[in-house]
Parts: sequence; C-alpha cells; structure tokens
Amino acid sequence: MYVVLLLIGFISVSSATSDVNQAFYSLSDIAIKQLVFIFGAILIIFTIVFSNVVVIDYFAYGFYAIAITLNILVLFLGREISGAKSWFGFGGFGIQPSEFAKVATALALSKFLGTYGVKFQGTKNIVTALGIVLLPMAIILIQNDTGSALVFLSFFLVLYREGLPGYILVSAVWLGILAIFRIISEATGISSFYGYGILLGLGSIIVFFVRKDRGIAMLVTTIAVISSLFYTIVGTFYSKILMQYQRDRIELVLGLKEDDRGMGFNLKQSKIAIGAGEMWGRGYLKGTQTKMGFVPEQHTDFIFDAIGEEWGFVGSTLFLLIFCGLLVRLVIMAERQSTVFGRVLGYSLASVLFFHMSINIGMTVGLVPTIGIPLPFISAGGSSLWAFTLFLFTFLRVDQVRK
Amino acid sequence: MDKNRSKQLVFFGLILLIFVIYTLRLASLQLGDVPYKKMAINNALNKITLYPSRSNVFDRKGKLMVYSTQMYDLSVFPFEIKKLDTGLLCSVLELDIQTVRGLIADARVRAKKRQKNNSFNNSALFYANLSNKQFTLLRENIYRLDGFFIESRTDRQFATATLSHALGYLGEADEELIASDEYYQPGDLVGITGLERYYEKQIRGIKGVKTVWQDRTYTERGVVKDTQFNYPATAGPDVISSLDFVLQEYGRELLNGKKGSIVAIEPGTGEVLAFINNPDYDPNTMVGRDRANTFKSLLRDPQKPLYNRAVKGVYPPGSTFKTVMALIAMQEGVLTPETTHGCGGGYRLGSIRVGCHPHGGPLDLRGSIRISCNSYYCQVFRDIIDNPEYGNVKVGYAALEKHLRSFGLGSPLGIDLLGESRGNIPSVSQLDRRHGDRWKSSTIISLSIGQGEILLTPLQMCNTAAIIANRGWYYSPHLIKRIDGYKDTAWDRKYKIKKFTTVDPRYFQYVIDGMSDVTKPGGTANGTGIENVEICAKTGTAQNPHGKDHSIYIAFAPKDNPKIAIAVLVENGGFGATWAAPIANLMIEKYLQGKAESSKPAMEERIKTSVIQ
Repeated sequence: MYVVLLLIGFISVSSATSDVNQAFYSLSDIAIKQLVFIFGAILIIFTIVFSNVVVIDYFAYGFYAIAITLNILVLFLGREISGAKSWFGFGGFGIQPSEFAKVATALALSKFLGTYGVKFQGTKNIVTALGIVLLPMAIILIQNDTGSALVFLSFFLVLYREGLPGYILVSAVWLGILAIFRIISEATGISSFYGYGILLGLGSIIVFFVRKDRGIAMLVTTIAVISSLFYTIVGTFYSKILMQYQRDRIELVLGLKEDDRGMGFNLKQSKIAIGAGEMWGRGYLKGTQTKMGFVPEQHTDFIFDAIGEEWGFVGSTLFLLIFCGLLVRLVIMAERQSTVFGRVLGYSLASVLFFHMSINIGMTVGLVPTIGIPLPFISAGGSSLWAFTLFLFTFLRVDQVRK
Repeated sequence: MDKNRSKQLVFFGLILLIFVIYTLRLASLQLGDVPYKKMAINNALNKITLYPSRSNVFDRKGKLMVYSTQMYDLSVFPFEIKKLDTGLLCSVLELDIQTVRGLIADARVRAKKRQKNNSFNNSALFYANLSNKQFTLLRENIYRLDGFFIESRTDRQFATATLSHALGYLGEADEELIASDEYYQPGDLVGITGLERYYEKQIRGIKGVKTVWQDRTYTERGVVKDTQFNYPATAGPDVISSLDFVLQEYGRELLNGKKGSIVAIEPGTGEVLAFINNPDYDPNTMVGRDRANTFKSLLRDPQKPLYNRAVKGVYPPGSTFKTVMALIAMQEGVLTPETTHGCGGGYRLGSIRVGCHPHGGPLDLRGSIRISCNSYYCQVFRDIIDNPEYGNVKVGYAALEKHLRSFGLGSPLGIDLLGESRGNIPSVSQLDRRHGDRWKSSTIISLSIGQGEILLTPLQMCNTAAIIANRGWYYSPHLIKRIDGYKDTAWDRKYKIKKFTTVDPRYFQYVIDGMSDVTKPGGTANGTGIENVEICAKTGTAQNPHGKDHSIYIAFAPKDNPKIAIAVLVENGGFGATWAAPIANLMIEKYLQGKAESSKPAMEERIKTSVIQ
C-alpha cells in the first residue's frame, strides 16, 4: 500500500518540478513553491499518523463548520482569480478553502451516517445527508468556481453505496444522454422537434408492445413524459442560462465547434502536447511543447500533458494504471471497514479522487469540456495537495485501527 | 452482503470503464497517425521583430546631436482579416474610407513580400508613426479590429537643425536592398544619405526577436523560451562625430540669407569641425509621418535644398589657388621667395590679356599673396609649364598636374559620405579635346589664377588650407571621431594615414608668411581679421559665367600650431573679402576663443542680417 503512495509522492514531485520548470512564466518559482508544499504535506502526514484516531471522529463536525465558514468568508475577503472568487491570498501564497471543503464534507457525512442508528432512509436523514453535501456545493457555486462545485456530485456515488437506489444513478446517466442530444440540436440548429418526435414516438411504440402489462406501460409513459420535459428544460437552460464561454467549451468537446485561437486554444495545445509523446515519450524534461510553454496552465489543469509528452503512451497508460490501481485499492479498503464512518470516508475519498482524475485527464485529451479542476497530488497547488493528503492519510489512519 | 458486494462491483466497473476509454483515447492521440506532432510548432506562432535604437550621435565635445525616439506603427495580418470594421478603423485613425481601402491593399502587397523573407510572419506595416491620439484610440479598440496589432520602432530626433547634409536622412528600405540583404524588411528605416548611410551597418543596431503564441485576438498568450527564438535588440553604439555643435549653429546663422558652403577641418587630424550648406532643410521635418511629404516638396524646391554643395558643388577656386601655384613653382625650382614680377595693371601675352586690380610696384612672393596679383601668377604658371627642362608645354603641364593631384585635387578626398565629387583638374587629353592639339601656355593661362577648367569642391578648398597649415600633408577628411566599441582597420587605414604632397615642407613657410598678411593692412581681406589671432588666409573671387562672381576664402589659424582650417564659399557674393572672409574669420574666432560675444559685433551683425539674391 505504502509503495503505491510512495510512487504517487515521487511522481508528484517529479512531475510538478519538471513540468513546472518549463512553465512559461516564473520558471522554477513554481517548482520551488511546490516543493515547499510537498514538505508541508509530509508534515501533515506525520501529524495524522501519530495522532489519536478518536480525534478525527471528534472533530469531524467542527472541521466541517470551519470549512463552511471559510468558504463563505472567501466570498467577501478573497481575491478574484480567473473570474472566481475562491482564494485567500497571502503574499505569494494562496489558500483555496474549496479544496478543504471536500475533505470536510466527507468527514461530516461519514460522521453523520456513522452515527448510531442513522441510515440513508427516511426523509429526515436523507435530507440532512443531502444537505451536508449540497451546502458547500452551493456556496462554491456562488464563488463562481463551477468546476469545484461539480466535484460534490461525486458524493452521490457514496450515497449510492449507502443506500441511494441504483435507478437514480441510471436516471442521471439517461438524463445526461438526453442533455447531450439537446445540446447538439441547440448548437447545430437541428430542430428539437426531432428529439421530441423520437422520444414520444419510441415511447409510444414500446407502450404498444407492453400494453398488456399496466405497470411497465405506466413506467414507460412516465419516463417518456419526464424525458420530454427534461429535454425542454435542458434546451432553455443551455441557451438562456449558460454563459457563452461555457457553451463554447461544451461544443468544442462535442466536436461541434472548431476554435483554434480562442477557446479551443488550450485544448488544442493539450492534445498536441500529449500526442507528441507518442509511444515512449520524449524523455524526462525534454517535452518541447511543455518546455517551450506552448501549453497554457500547464502546471495546474493541464499537467497530464507533461506526463503524456515526456513519458509517451507507455508512461501515460502506466500512470493511469497506477491511479486506477489506487482507486481500486481504496474501494477494497473502504468496503472492509468495520465502521460506517470508515466506510463512508473511504468511498468518499475514492469517489472524489475518481471524479477529479476522470475530469482532469478527460479534459486534457479532449473527451470532457474544459472544467478547471486539478489532478490530485500531481497538479501544482498547495491547497489541493494538502487537502488531498489530509483526506488520504486520515482514511489510512482510520483504516489502520480497524479491528 | 450481496447488495453491497454488487454495489462495490459497480465502483470497480466505473473505474475500469474510465481506464479503458482513456487508454484508448491516449492510444489514438499518441500512437495513431500523429498530425498533432507536426502541428506543434506552427500553431499560431508569431516572430515579432524587436527594433533596436539607432546610434546616438554626439558632437566632438560630447553634446548630443541626434537621438532616437519611439514610434508606434499599426501592423496587420492582412490575410487573416475575416471581417473588418472599416468604419471603426476610419474613425480611430481619422482617415476617410478610400485611404483606408488603399492602405489595406498596400498592406496585402507588402505582406506577400515579407512572407518570402520570413516564413513565420505574414504581417505587414499598415500605418506608420501613430500620433498620440491615434495610439490611444487604437489601444482601446484593438481587440475589435481582427488581425491588427501595434508594433513599436524607433525614429530620429535632431537637437540641431544644421546637420541635414552631414547626417543625411532615413527612408524606407527599397526593393533592391530588401532583396540583397535579408536583414531588412519592408518598412524598415535605413540611412539614405550622409553619415546615416555611410555608417548604416554600424549604427543601425541589431534587431532582436520575440517569438510568441498569439490567440485569436492577436494578444500574446505566451512566449517561446528558447534563446534561439528570443533575444533582445541591441542598440546602435554611440557615434562621436568630429563636428562642433556650437560652430555648426554659428556658421549656419552666418550663412543665413546667402547661398554657399562652409567647411572647417582640424588640420592635425583631418576631422571635420563644421560642415554647413545653405540652402538646407530642417532634418526634424524629415522624420515620421512628415517624411514622405517633406521629401516631395524638397525635391521640387528650385533652391535645391537637398543638394550637398560642400562635396558636390564644384567651383573654380579663383585666387585662392595662387597659394598652391606658388608652392609648386618653388618645388619646381622656378620660383624663390625673392622672385619679383611686375604687373602694370595686367598681364599681356600676345593677344591675351589678364587684368589685375591696381596695386603698387613689382611684388615678391609674399607680397603677391598679400595683394593677390594676377600678373605674378600668370608669369609663375608659364615658368612652370614652359620650363625648358621639359622641352614641351604638355610635358610641363603634366608635371604640374602631378603636383596638383598630390594635393588631393581632381579626385574625391574620400570623406565618409556618399556622392563626393572629384572636382576637376584637367588632364592633357582633356585640354587637347578642349583646345585642339596645339595649345600653349597662353591658351590655358586662366588656370594660373584658378579659373578655367579647374574646379574644386568647398571640401577640397578647405583641405587645401589644411595641407598648407600642416606644411605639406593631410589626413583624408572625415566626419566622425570614433564609434564606441568599434574597431575597423580598413577605416583606420583610410583615415589615419598621412598623405604627403610632392612639395617639400620647407617651401610652405613662405606662402604662409604671405597668407598671414592678408587680413592685415595692405592685405586683400584687411579689416576682417580678429585681434589676438594670427590668421593665415587667401581670398578668392571666382568668375561666374552665369552671374555675379563667387566670394571665396580659405584660411587657417593660428599661424603656428594651427587648430582650424576653413573654407567659405558664398555664391554670387562678389569679392572674397566682402562675405567669405568675415564669415570664416568670425568662425575662427568663435572656435579659438570660445566666447559668446564676438570682438567685432558690427561685422557679425552685418553678416547675420544680409541677404544675397
């Protein structure tokens, strides 16, 4: 287990320093900063490892409360960066409370669901659980950091494990597909009537075939109706509520829009950088795309590019393997926890990490619209590193003492 | 625990799914056909030229005369303009739509040319030298003008209006230059005349380069960090000119209202102290936006202000030439300081008659210079070329010609400007063509007093004064002392090697003695001299077939250890003593005494306010 962790540590150090050395502004400034952060992370690790487990449980709610407060405060006291008011700035360093909110929410949720007698059943419990998750999400949305806010959706996976019915998740996927179709029709101007036509038409056909079974027929009809409704909502939301740049990003990824100089710039550079790595990569510190600073934001959101370019297909796949391996390990560990607290914590960790990894890497390869969230442990950035370290090692500590 | 187990499996499934999808995607990007690799470098890259400051030019005492200023140009990628808001462009630049359309067309042509030289860059200069107002308006609106961006360059500013002919002017590099030297791009400013042209390669500095990523709005988004693509411009090194700022301004003031030329040299070094022509033009009108218009009007001006009289204008030297004649005659052994010749109001030889102004009895060498007797020199001239030792007048003339050429006459002196005229010392064959095959000394007698086919530029006249001042040698005159940090052995060879005349140094003293009498009572320039300064001079009045005689004067001072040699020519000025002499002597005073007030304010005033048509 620890080997995996050591590997992560090594990769994060080497990636952050090597790529950051080639970032196109303030050279090794960022690398040095990152080393400092890593040092801090190590301190955190030690603190946790040597502290009493009970402490974690005891302070769970307190930590949550602090996190929420900080996130609200940052709305008033924080600096605005890239359109989002989500940072506290101290001289050259910044702290992003939203990163810590993820850990805090996991802790609070774990404690709540772990409380004797509480299950994910019954209106009161469900609402509270949802509330714990949605409250920070809302605040972060107000900060205008949509990416980080979306991360909280990963908690739904946790809730699934704790009792949220599976069909909810399936519905979510179905709605997702509907949404994509609607977006396509909005963007390309194909009349949405086709969509309605297919939905209702298909629905009618199926109902016809299963008309014998009242129950299923009702179900199908309901689905069709709700789907159509949703279809409309997405349409309105997409054209009237989403901002142009968000629409652009989505369309870009769907391949509906080519924009090499403006919006598409980051994406194109990212794909070029990764592509340049080919099979074996160009070698450590030799990535010309990343070295010459052609990939913007390359030390944060697009850091996977450096891995892609320098280590090639072999290296990138290896990285994916390691990360997924970590996730699988975490899921196994989570499942074997003897306490609900531990289990929820474990699954939260896995889900959040999963979400971050999928979105971040997906963004660099052009499968996911540009959503700015970091790659855990690899992307430069103190708050992210410390928050995730805290998260990971808290869970490890908890796991250590399971009976 | 089945339910939970299956839920766990869902998690595993998700992880596996993502792993597979992403791996496939990576494979497609990295293993498949990889056009992305090729696309890498050329993507939205722009190689921006960083223009260097041209050299500053200082006078010999370190006073700044010419310097560089920043100017802003509007440039464009004409082939990437997708939709252009011409209305906006017109209002920002304050031009009408036709002009703007014309500019766009021009830019397209230029961009095509530039692309040949520099494959990364197909932008072109659209509108040069924005005014402050245009610059501000553009800065605010540039994001709305697809394909346009602002570049900065440097242009010239002059601290004095007198340097036009010495320094020259800048202009846009022409097709030939751009084709032959890849350093130059369309729109670059290069020296066209004067020092700007002669030392172009040294003073233009070295361009720098900045290679950047540009996004759709041509805003910089990042810089390529390789030093091969990124290095700053190097400014041109300081040029220390040999000119004296104070003397330039003073001389120009004195020459005001008259047509002519002043050249002054430091005899011991060949450095040109003053280089003034009138008519000239204010070089500050030949910069930036006004350059093209000013140039057109200067070309059309019938006074020809662009004409560099000092090195291009050729004139008969008149009586100033007698000094040279005397020296050559002594060298040839046909004249001694004691030799006298009578005058009687003129020289008669057969049907030829050369007049002379009234003066006393027979003169010796010293007196002949002091009084400038024509008859004396007609005789001397004939003595030289009719010398029985040569047997033949043509052989005798050829000997004279050889001496004359050793004074640097009849060929360009090699000053660091382009277009210097060589003047004219007729060769034997030239005389044959002019006068037929059987000419005699009497045929060409006018040469004896510096008329006829003999032509000198004002520079050559001044250089002659310098030669006499040095007692027999000179350095090729040059307009700069040095360029900081720059060493050129070819330049040193040209300007730092003494050139000797064929006349022995010991003969010079006699001519100099005569010259020292000229500004004193009895001399032709009596009354124009300066107290406490021993000036040696010779007046000249050159006959001008097209109008009134030219007033000429050469001089140097002090007599021993001379510091300045000067020649002044005032067209249509009549006697040498009337205009040329006072101007030269005042300049000598200014240079040697360095006072703000002249010791002869009335003379100074007269000169400053006079106008000669």
